Amino acid sequence: MSRDAHTVEGIARVVRIENDVAWFEPEQTTSCGHCASSAACGASSAATGTGTGIGSIARRIEFRRFALDNANDLRIGDRVVVGVDDRALFRASATAYAVPLVTTLAAGGLAQALFGDDLLTLFSMALGLFAGLVVARIAARALGRRGELAPRILRHAVPGETCQTGM
Amino acid sequence: MKELTLMMIGAALVNNVILARFLGLCSFMGVTTRIDTAAGMGMATTFVITVSSMADWAVQHWLLDPYGLGYLRTVTFILVIASAVQFTEMTIRKVSPSLFQMLGIYLPLITTNCAVLGVALLLVEGHMSLLGATLFAFASSVGYSMVMIIFAGLRERLALAAVPRLFAGPPIGFIVASLLAMAFMGFSGISTG
Repeated sequence: MSRDAHTVEGIARVVRIENDVAWFEPEQTTSCGHCASSAACGASSAATGTGTGIGSIARRIEFRRFALDNANDLRIGDRVVVGVDDRALFRASATAYAVPLVTTLAAGGLAQALFGDDLLTLFSMALGLFAGLVVARIAARALGRRGELAPRILRHAVPGETCQTGM
Repeated sequence: MKELTLMMIGAALVNNVILARFLGLCSFMGVTTRIDTAAGMGMATTFVITVSSMADWAVQHWLLDPYGLGYLRTVTFILVIASAVQFTEMTIRKVSPSLFQMLGIYLPLITTNCAVLGVALLLVEGHMSLLGATLFAFASSVGYSMVMIIFAGLRERLALAAVPRLFAGPPIGFIVASLLAMAFMGFSGISTG
């Protein structure tokens, strides 16, 4: 199975159709969950989506639903391969994680140099984290306006195809 | 300053979380099939390890130590890490739902990543200041991310190589990982003089 070297692919299932818009739910995969302890492990339930409480995998997957134009006449239950550009994924990761981290460490370093007190350093780091999250929010909006965060439908998934097979 | 720099180099290279301490091996083998996913997981883990280590340091020094509750350390740290992951997930969902849809896949995996707890427990043994502990955690997680990305690059090349059938898949992956670990042992010869 061929794949675009610059596209990160995943499989999503159509869960709702609203006029010309299809709502998708990504199929969750885990890095582990295949070991002898998988029955008792939180990671394995990620694959099955069992549990519906606050913070459960099922709730997490529900929060990750996304909408795309239904240009392919998809129906509820259809499985499709969706993809995002790998550079967009990297930019998104940098925006969400690197920016707040840099501001947190910078604020902590500055506070330690100025006051030399752990409590003030912790307070400054918390402020730095908050400031970084604000900057990340602005940057994420800019990425979203350019359409870099939206996945696109690549093709129908082959029956039995998962993120672990043929990809 | 020199001490902090040496401590960070040591945490990232000499005592690498994956190749020297053998922590986080689940994600090391599972999320390193592509460089971009390894980088995404690395950045998410770096964020969570750094933030949870700050919180763990505060809990250790202002709660567990003063009240003699050291025996609750592991349980408390697990709770703090799970809360940090949940906080990260909620924050990213609020900051940008689009980012959350794209990156949320990594976050549940971090809760079960033993490298996060391992780094937090190492901080306690190190008796560091808050900034030192945070930088140690940051450097450790940068080392983790670096190895993840290097290994993903090697596996991308391996996927194109003609590997004998018996070694195809995980076996050749483990062999490459062991060679990488031996290469990283070279960093233990760094002179600080």
